[in-house]
This record gives sequence, C-alpha cells and structure tokens, in this order.
Amino acid sequence: MAFVRVARDGVPVTQAKDVALDPSLGKRFTLKTDVVVVGSGAAGAVVAYEMAKAGRDVLVLESGRYYPSSEFTEHLGDTMTKIYQDQVGQVNTTADIIFVQGACVGGSTVIGACVMEEPGDKVLDGWAEKYGLDALSAEKFRPYLDKIADELQIHTNEAHEINACAHKVIQGCEKMKYSWKPAQRNVKQCALTGHCLAGCPSDRKMSSLVTHLPWAAAHGARIFSDTEVVKVKTRDGRARGVEARVVDPDSGVHVADMQVDADMVVLAAGAIHTPLILQRSQVPDRSGQLGKNLAIQPFTQVLGKFKEPLYGFRGALVGVQVDEFTQTDGYTIFSGLAEPESLLAQGDMKAGEAHIQFMKDYKYYAGVNAFSQDLGNGYVQWDGDAYNGDKTIHYNPSREEFENMKASATLAARIFFSGGAEKVYLPTFQSLEANSVFELDEKMDKVDYGIKGMYTFRSNSFSPHGTCRMGADPYQSVVSPSGELHDTPGLFVADSSLIPESMSAPIQWTVHALAKYVSDQINDNASNYFIG
Amino acid sequence: MNSQLQAQKIQHIWQRGIARRQFLKWGLGSVAAVTAVAAGGFALLRRSPRDEMTPPDWVSHLSATEYHLFDRAREVLLPVAGTPMIDSANVPVVQNVQQTLGFLDPVTRKELGAGLSLFDNVVVFSHGCRFVDLDDAQAKALFDRWGEGSVLQRTLATVIKQLVYSSYWREPVTWPPAEFDGPVSEKWGLAYLGNAPMPQESSLDVQQEQA
Repeated sequence: MAFVRVARDGVPVTQAKDVALDPSLGKRFTLKTDVVVVGSGAAGAVVAYEMAKAGRDVLVLESGRYYPSSEFTEHLGDTMTKIYQDQVGQVNTTADIIFVQGACVGGSTVIGACVMEEPGDKVLDGWAEKYGLDALSAEKFRPYLDKIADELQIHTNEAHEINACAHKVIQGCEKMKYSWKPAQRNVKQCALTGHCLAGCPSDRKMSSLVTHLPWAAAHGARIFSDTEVVKVKTRDGRARGVEARVVDPDSGVHVADMQVDADMVVLAAGAIHTPLILQRSQVPDRSGQLGKNLAIQPFTQVLGKFKEPLYGFRGALVGVQVDEFTQTDGYTIFSGLAEPESLLAQGDMKAGEAHIQFMKDYKYYAGVNAFSQDLGNGYVQWDGDAYNGDKTIHYNPSREEFENMKASATLAARIFFSGGAEKVYLPTFQSLEANSVFELDEKMDKVDYGIKGMYTFRSNSFSPHGTCRMGADPYQSVVSPSGELHDTPGLFVADSSLIPESMSAPIQWTVHALAKYVSDQINDNASNYFIG
Repeated sequence: MNSQLQAQKIQHIWQRGIARRQFLKWGLGSVAAVTAVAAGGFALLRRSPRDEMTPPDWVSHLSATEYHLFDRAREVLLPVAGTPMIDSANVPVVQNVQQTLGFLDPVTRKELGAGLSLFDNVVVFSHGCRFVDLDDAQAKALFDRWGEGSVLQRTLATVIKQLVYSSYWREPVTWPPAEFDGPVSEKWGLAYLGNAPMPQESSLDVQQEQA
C-alpha cells in the first residue's frame, strides 16, 4: 500500500532565488519530465494533481511568484503589487477595462472572491450540440462538476455568510420581485474577514494553493515559480517540451534559461496567456481562431448609500446573487463592497469636502458587481518577437454590449433604491449619481456610447475565456474535444481558453471541471502519449 | 494604495487622457506662450512666496515647484477640519506621491511634469497668481472646473486628485476614522487551517501530516 503525505502548510516550490543559488543548474539548464504543465491556477493545479496521481512525472511552471499564505497581509494594495498580473495594470488597448488576474503560484484562485457557479445544463448541452462536444453534455459533464464540488468544499452561503451589504440587495430584490439566491463559494469555515481579494491568511479559501497543488506535490509533482514559458518546442510537428526563462520577481534579473524536454505539454496559463504562448510558438492553426472569440464577462461596481450604517465591507465578501436575468438577458449581480483603496479606483473622485464626505460615508455603502454577458468578439495578440514582444488585449464593447452593461448597472441601481438607498453612485467615468429612482434614467441617458464605448463605464473583467475554442471541427476550433490541439499532437490546453463561446456564469468551477476532464482524456489514452 | 500600482494607474490615466502628440502640441504651445510673455508681467505675477520656502530634505524626485503644488493640493483636496479624519499634514502624502512618480517611465514623467507646470500656471492671467497661491475656495473651484472640462483638463485634474487621495488613503492610520477595520485575522486570533486534506483514493492510503 502506498502512503502519500500532504504537507500541513505551504507548497514545495523552486523559486528564482533557489535557481540562482544552485551552481549545478547554471545560466542554462534542461529538465526532463513526462508532462510539463504551464500555469498553476484553477486548471494547471488540477492537471498537475491528476497526472501526478496517475504516476506521471510532472513539472509545473508558473510565471508568477510563490506567495505563501503566511505572507498575506490583508492589505489589498500591497497584495496587488506582488501577485496581481501586471500590478492590476493588465488592460485592453484603450486602457479602459482592467483584466484582473492572479500572477502567483495558485493563479487567480488565490485572489478570487470564491464565487462558484455551474455553467448550467442548457449551456453544456448547447456546447455539445453546436460544437460536437458530446462529452461536455450536461449528463456526461456532471460527474466532473460534482467531483470538483467535493474537492473544493463548494457550498451555498449560510445565513452567517450573508452580510449587511447583501441584505440590502435581498431587500431590493424582494420588493422588485426579482429572483435572488445565496452565492456558492469554495471556502471552509469562512472567518468573514472580507479580505478575500488579498488572499486568505488562514487558508479557509479553497484555492489551488491549499488544494490541488500540495496534493500534486505529495504525489511527486515539481513546481517552479518565476518561470515564464516563452514558447512550446515541437519536433516533427509534435510538442516536445518548452523554452522558459527564470526571472527574479523582485529585481527583474534574468536568472536563467530553462529548457524542458517532455512527452506532453499542457497549457493552463489562462485565456489571455495560453493563446499568446501558442502564437509565440507559431503552432499551426487551420481554424484561424487562435486568440479570437475572447469573452470577458464585463462587470461594473454600483454603490448605494443607505440611511443607516451597514459596514458592508465586513463579513463574507460575496453574499448573494441576483439571478432573475441570468438566463434571459445574461445579467448577474453579486453583492460585494471593496475596501477603501479600491473604492478610490472605482468610486467618486470629487474634490475637497465632497471627497471627504464620500469617504466619511463609507460605512453607509453597499456595493454590487453588475455583470453582463458579452458576445465574445475580443482577441488577444502577441506583437513582436517571442522574447521581446508584447501582448495586446483587444476588446471594446459593441453598442449591444454597451447597452447590456448599462442595463445591468441600471438594474443594480434600481435594486438599491428599492432596498432603501438614498443615493446611488453610477459606475461611469464621468461622475454621476442618482438621488432617487426617478432621476436614474435621466442620469443613465448621459452615458453615451460615443466612440467604441470607450471611457463610458468603469469596467473590469475577472473571467476572460474562449480564446482557444474547443470543438470537433478543426476549421472552426483550435482544440479538439480531447483537449489536444487539432494540429499539434502532444500539446493540450486545459484552461478557460477552451470554453467554446461566451457564457454568463462565473467560470472558475467550469474551468476546474474542464481541467479534470482533459486530464481524464490524457490518462485514458496514456499509451498513445507515454512510453511505459 | 501601493506606489508601484498607483504609478501604473497614473500612467494609464495619463496615456488614455492625453494623446501624446496632442499633449506635446498643447504643452509646447503653452511653453511658447509663457516664454513670450516671460519678459513682461507674467514672470512677476507667477512669483510665489512659496518659492522662498526650501522643500524638505527628502524631496529628490520632485522639483521644488512640484513639491509646493502637491503640498497645496493636499491642503485643498483633503480638508478634514471638523471631521474625525486624520489631518493630512500628519500623513506622508507628498512623500508617497514622490514615491509613486518615481515608478513612472521617463517619458510619462516628463510629460506629467509639463502638465503639472501648466496646471500651476494656468490661472496666472485670470487670478494674478499661481495655483499654489489661490485661496482654498478658488483652488477647489479650479479642480471642479477642470474636472468637467476638456479631456486634457479632466486628465490633469484626475491625475492630481488620484495621486493625492491614494497617497493619503493607503496609510492605515487614515482607516479608523472611516471605520474600516483593516487587517483582522491576527487581531481576531483566527486559527490557521493549513492545506486541505487530500481526497481519499481507493488505491492509496493518504495521510495528512500533523503539525
């Protein structure tokens, strides 16, 4: 009988400083492995665990730093600098939409708000039918979702996890007769600190940092941080490993170049970086869809000011969601109030006394994030050579998407007024607030689509997906139904890039389950990929 | 908010608000205009008593006029008298601004410097003094007017406000009056739960290591 010991805390990670101090590695070194997994977030961690558990030699390469929970400070500004992609400066080409992403061992699961939602049977069956993805039908995909629910302790928020901010949303919904429900989250014994976005120092959030990664390591997986994969190596048309560079995250010093020889490459760097790696690698793509179909689930933060102090920043960050319009219109609204520093980025920017008053009223605010479904017409592109080029994220809302964002934010404002708000701050670049529901439409009418909808709503994206669409038709999709690229054997994608079209539910649960599904595809056909 | 992060934000606000060529045209035009009248009364009018005040020793990445501008903006933008908020004179606001600007790339930093100079001097003709010598009401009115003005005006006003506000609110000492709790896990003595137990597998006997 085999014994597998899981460390009580932390993950064994080889960091840039370790590489720099190891004379046996030098400035250029080569590692050999069965499977190299690129990325350690929701997808990469699951693949690493499933592959290592199946007895494969697994190497995980993460471009971000290793930031163990013992170093979490609950200071959002500091955390953003250390483990958010581009210090939260990852934006579209017009710099008016922020793409929030984790850049650390554990990826976005470390900094997420723990919100978990299934894609829905209708969505899954739609994918099965439209893209020839029979294995993703609701019936066949269900076991993967269920398994992830067990592993990540996903549960529906209980009463104590619904804070005052969320209660205002509930009150508004009840009056409007809108459907709402407690959110589902992957957290155990939530301590209600409200600091989810800065990481959970007591390890209650079931991020990859405390689940699949330590489990993978217990099965022998090796994990490197500070290691950015530049390109996939191919020989005779088949993936044979990767080229990477190890960079010290504090000094920016290029510590070493790494070559990895592997039987299989699994990309799990997320919907922005996975297609960029493939573009840099110049892999064949008959579909012409590589990097395209970027869907972003844009959201804006709407603030309501109430008569009584709410302390809406206390308690579980996300309590409830408004699901009245999710299926019909693609709008989903989640309760949640940011802390003062991010409130500044999203909130009012008046001068002098008005600003002081705004911040003085902090305890009277409730906040929601108003999501809308987009059409998936964005794209990501690598410009320049593989080593010195740069990424660009091309997304600006179409008029239809702009109207969806406006409608979702307006609904959020109406819910707050119905819940008793005295004033609602609108999520627009121009400073707009409504003092009653009767002037809401007039204020919203001031937000004009203008040129490509730029600088209208202060939008963010936490859930980009779709840039390596999965499907049976190699002329319409980048990745086959098994997760392997249509035109490059031995090269798999396992992350949100796979999602074949824009979806409205938060994607994390789906991504974990897709990664487990792709892992099964590999393990079930291991004799085709591995010798021995 | 962390300086490096804030610098990124400022850079983005700046870049999106100022088409570079347009700004240079604006900036150079303004400089030319300033030069043209410098020999006359303009130079006299723009003199400020603050110019005689030496900036503190820690000022290294701000010019003396930039230091005085941000110090005056701090006074104007954060009027906490009569509120429980912390007096901004007791918070290292301008130090934090300086730190943030230190993260800007040289091109953006230079353009921003020109923009700050423009903001400081823009009221010389209308008010007979620079921004730093306007009284509180006039200075606030300038921020309000520019906050609703052209793209260039809105951008400059936003950048200055964002720099000053973030430099203030990033300091934990400013949180208690807003009743924001800040970090709580240690204060509450929360138990550390550690890694989650690995799912039981039929073929393996999995043990969770004990502390």
